[in-house]
Amino acid sequence: MTAGTAEAEQEPVGIPERLRDPGSEPGGGVGPGPEPTERGVLRWAYARQRRWIVGAAVFTAIHQMCEAAVPVMIGAVVDHAVRRGGPADLALWIGLLAALFLVLTVAMRLGGRCNRHGSQGAAHDLRMVAVARVLDPRGFADPTADSGALLSTATADTLRIGLGNRSWVLGAGAVAALAFGAVALLLTSVPLGLLVLVGLVPLLWATKLLAKPLSARGAAEQAQVARATGTAADLMRGLRVLKGLGAEPAGLRRYRRASRAALAATVRAARWDAGYEGVTLLLNGLFLAVVTLVGARFAVEGTISVGEFVASVGLAQFLVGPSSRFGGAMSLRARARGSAKRLAALLAAPYAVTGGERALTPPVAGELTLDGLSHGPLKDVCLRVPAGTTLGIAATEPAEATALLDVLALRIPPESGRVELDGVPLAELRLDDARTALVVADHDGDLFDATVEENVASVAGAAPPGRVAAALAAADADQVIEALPHGTDSTIGERGRSLSGGQRQRVALARALAADPPVLVLHEPTTAVDAATEAKVADGLRTMREGRTTVLVTTSPILLRTCDRVVLLHDGEVRAEGTHSELTRDDSSYRTAVMA
Amino acid sequence: MTALMTERPDEAAGDRMSLPTATPAEVRAELWDRVRRRPGLPLAALALVVTGVVAGLAIPRALGRVVDLVASGGHQVSAVTTPVVVVAVACLAQAVLSGFGDALVARGGEEMLADLRETALSRAMATPLDRLERSGTGDLVSRVSADVSVLADAVREMVPQLADAVLQIALTFVALLLLDWRFAVASLLVVPLQWYAVRWLLRHSRPVRRAERVAQGTQAQTILESVDGVHTVRAFRLTPRRLALTGDRSREVRDLALLSTRIGTRFFGKLNGAEWTGLSALLVVGYLLTRHGGVGIGTASAAALYFARLFDPINGLLSSFDDVQSAGAAAARVVGLARMPGAGDVHDGDADDGAAGEARPEALPMTPSEPAVSLRGVTHAYVTGHQVLGPVDLDIVAGERVAVVGTSGAGKSTLAKVVAGVHRPTGGTVRLGGVPQDELPARRLRRTVALVNQETHVFAGSLGDDLRLARPDATDAELLDALATVDARAWAEELPEGLGTRVGQGGLRLSPVRAQQLALARLVLADPPVAVLDEATAEAGSAGSRALEAAAEGALRGRTALVVAHRLTQAVRADRVLVMERGRIVEQGSHEELVAAGGRYAALWEAWSGARG
Repeated sequence: MTAGTAEAEQEPVGIPERLRDPGSEPGGGVGPGPEPTERGVLRWAYARQRRWIVGAAVFTAIHQMCEAAVPVMIGAVVDHAVRRGGPADLALWIGLLAALFLVLTVAMRLGGRCNRHGSQGAAHDLRMVAVARVLDPRGFADPTADSGALLSTATADTLRIGLGNRSWVLGAGAVAALAFGAVALLLTSVPLGLLVLVGLVPLLWATKLLAKPLSARGAAEQAQVARATGTAADLMRGLRVLKGLGAEPAGLRRYRRASRAALAATVRAARWDAGYEGVTLLLNGLFLAVVTLVGARFAVEGTISVGEFVASVGLAQFLVGPSSRFGGAMSLRARARGSAKRLAALLAAPYAVTGGERALTPPVAGELTLDGLSHGPLKDVCLRVPAGTTLGIAATEPAEATALLDVLALRIPPESGRVELDGVPLAELRLDDARTALVVADHDGDLFDATVEENVASVAGAAPPGRVAAALAAADADQVIEALPHGTDSTIGERGRSLSGGQRQRVALARALAADPPVLVLHEPTTAVDAATEAKVADGLRTMREGRTTVLVTTSPILLRTCDRVVLLHDGEVRAEGTHSELTRDDSSYRTAVMA
Repeated sequence: MTALMTERPDEAAGDRMSLPTATPAEVRAELWDRVRRRPGLPLAALALVVTGVVAGLAIPRALGRVVDLVASGGHQVSAVTTPVVVVAVACLAQAVLSGFGDALVARGGEEMLADLRETALSRAMATPLDRLERSGTGDLVSRVSADVSVLADAVREMVPQLADAVLQIALTFVALLLLDWRFAVASLLVVPLQWYAVRWLLRHSRPVRRAERVAQGTQAQTILESVDGVHTVRAFRLTPRRLALTGDRSREVRDLALLSTRIGTRFFGKLNGAEWTGLSALLVVGYLLTRHGGVGIGTASAAALYFARLFDPINGLLSSFDDVQSAGAAAARVVGLARMPGAGDVHDGDADDGAAGEARPEALPMTPSEPAVSLRGVTHAYVTGHQVLGPVDLDIVAGERVAVVGTSGAGKSTLAKVVAGVHRPTGGTVRLGGVPQDELPARRLRRTVALVNQETHVFAGSLGDDLRLARPDATDAELLDALATVDARAWAEELPEGLGTRVGQGGLRLSPVRAQQLALARLVLADPPVAVLDEATAEAGSAGSRALEAAAEGALRGRTALVVAHRLTQAVRADRVLVMERGRIVEQGSHEELVAAGGRYAALWEAWSGARG
């Protein structure tokens, strides 16, 4: 933190103690989430921040009334001090003006902060709820969810719903200012007050009517601009591919098309904007002219004083602001509703698996049984992996391997048949217990932005010291660390991007080994490493998994050679079974599968 | 600003070569250049806006006249009609003029922005590949997307708002001058106070805003990482850990937002102080002038009211200084990119591209008399003194397929990149078809030798659009032929809309194997005589690798090829195998020869196939 922010922290005018954060940070979660409907989400966002929102509304109302009082006060100073008073009167009235400004500024500061609390606090809570749903162990029944859309719901939509909380504050402020202005005007002159108040209605109506097509055009324009921006980012991400082929001119032409379409849309929207501004200017000016005309007539006739006339003209101008803020509040609300609908849809998305109730009692021996398993391309697969052994599964079709892994990883319940762990159906176990005992590691396991060791240690729990190091060595990932610019302290970038594919794969394998589960299922753990390293890793794997159950879903002969037993999956069925050398000798389809 | 939500953080800071950032003087020069190139539009816009201001000036003047008429008493009611009509007419004139003026300003600004972002992208595309390989694309991505978005928001929202505020302030100040110059002088009392407030704001808010942007970027990155890696998160029961991390990041964003609000409200508090000071000064001056200066009470009260009307525009103007600065920073980054010395600039046919299309340069002719690729004493060092390649002597005859094998770090990829012209050799020469590589213009070089690397990016858009990047004028039939060559036609035709199916970000997600097949299909379409394949099959899984080997087989048919072999089966199929170790070629020959020779390759083959027989 800089000196500047530290100073801001020592802010003397504090938030009243009772308004301090109402405990929105319990551990990682945020307590029970909202009901997954549009209304439920909005209500939850409001209810959790009620104290801040009410505080903000009250202070903002006070602030707005003070703002409205400024022209009234000017009129009063003119009448009582400037026109017919002595220096003492002038000093008194300027002092009163100072008091007004003091209240105004304090209310503004408190209101502004409560307001931000109300929106940011809600955005934070909703963000946590959204991310918790996305990462829920039970998963999504519909696996096609797009990560970009999820990201935008978790960040942009939650923020918009949070901002929706401000609509109450904005509305309260506008009502207060309008009420105050109306009373002040009516006290000055009933007919003039009525004229202003009645005149505001068609003025606002006309403005709102004009604004409607505007917002539709604004959205279309935003979409075009976003498309151009997306194209630019996409081309840059794929720039190495483009340059490898010399396809930059084609890429540039594609961007230019998107950019020109965005330009045309923005220019059209800007034209509408300018038209709208012009018409608003005109309407407000005409309104002012009418109020001036009528007010001047009363003043000439002596019905109201000069000061009152001045104040009335000032108020008429001031009131246009709060009235139009109603429109602002409504559009905040509308946007929050759209976002709440998307968030509710995310929260209501059905789970892929639910998990059972049974707890797993340690120690887990690690016997894995597949009983009549049918799923996708798999047809009635029966397999038994005795505890402590290593089974290789070679699938002739990648889809068979994927289907098997999806079921074992509990990403989806099998269409029929079951998986048992030590004789207990996997589906009856609590999800957390099942995944503690049986870990499925993908060949493209995702890494996270941290050091290599942190990535590996993140799954090791309270592992005995040395296991992480042993896992790193077994997967040849200690070499990866040595090659990094800052060694063990190097972070590996978003999703491990600063590593090569082979390095990422070795680190991911080390992580799976460090988790040291009773049953470990590895999918093609060495596709991105060279043959010499692969042989080394195969040995390390064998040593690390000594006495533990391991399933290797792979077609790599180097890995299959180290397995106690190998099965061949072909046409969705277990076709052959034996050791690697037996199968290579006896089974031609196995030879084709692993020798190619 | 909404742009923040779409902002992708720079990928890992690390030791990166940073792209240039323009100085404020360079930004101004760039903008001025662009204005000067097409001065008609800005001039017209300026003329309209100024005329609008002048028309608007009549309004407060007429209102003051009404107040004076009323205050002096003894007039007929009808006396005020004339100034009120003046108000109405002036309003109409102002509305029309400023409406058209704003539209023109917006058009000028948007056109300039569009030109700027296109230039920036064109320069970004000209970044040499070896530099990209080292520095990644993160900074480029954020400059052409996030920074351009910030600029676009600025042009669309900030510029008109600022223009409006400046206009109103100028207008009101002139009105005060017209009422009585002494009021205008008194109103200037607020200037030092406001100046102080703005200085204070900039000093305090700048670091917080910067921290806010960083925090938002980190938060988005953390969430995206979790979302993308959700299988891993669930498999290793990392959900609580990731949630806790997300919570920390999210709270940081929230707390910084609150901090920046505190700073903002303190700033407005200071502005309130300035308002009160100015208002009191005007009232005191009014008090004195009505008694001793021959000024009417109407004039005095009008002056106070005008001044009160300044609050909003002044506050708006002053508080947007921060946004102006962010926009300035974004402009510096975008302009920095646009003014980057265009080494081998992408031809950006300023006039009307599209119609005529791009004239693709001819590939170098490959004659049997010269080797297609020839390396003599070639060395390469990424860091001076730390040689990772060579010296290497190598001739590849036209149509020959050469596979390179070796452990990681043996220099395979470096050799591939030197042959492809991505890296210039530190020593020695590389010739293509007898012509020294550095005598070839960049585009001709790329037309002659193409590189398919590990990256499996699928471009957002239709499948056909993706493929046409490699050959823009290809017909659908040609695209399908290319897909057929890499065994991808069947699945491509089964996609919901065939070649029109949207793929890439926001579209259908293709498996790594399919993505790589697309990369090979692009190679077929680009049709270079020499192709370099580097680890193209690495991440597809074994079964996928086989499919890709078949695809590569098709794509390389009839080409001279250098393949960095990841699986030894790729080596078996090659005409010649090079075994590399510590940057040098230590063995070469056909697969059979090398196995028979019993050297390093034979040992490698033993490890690979030992269990097979």
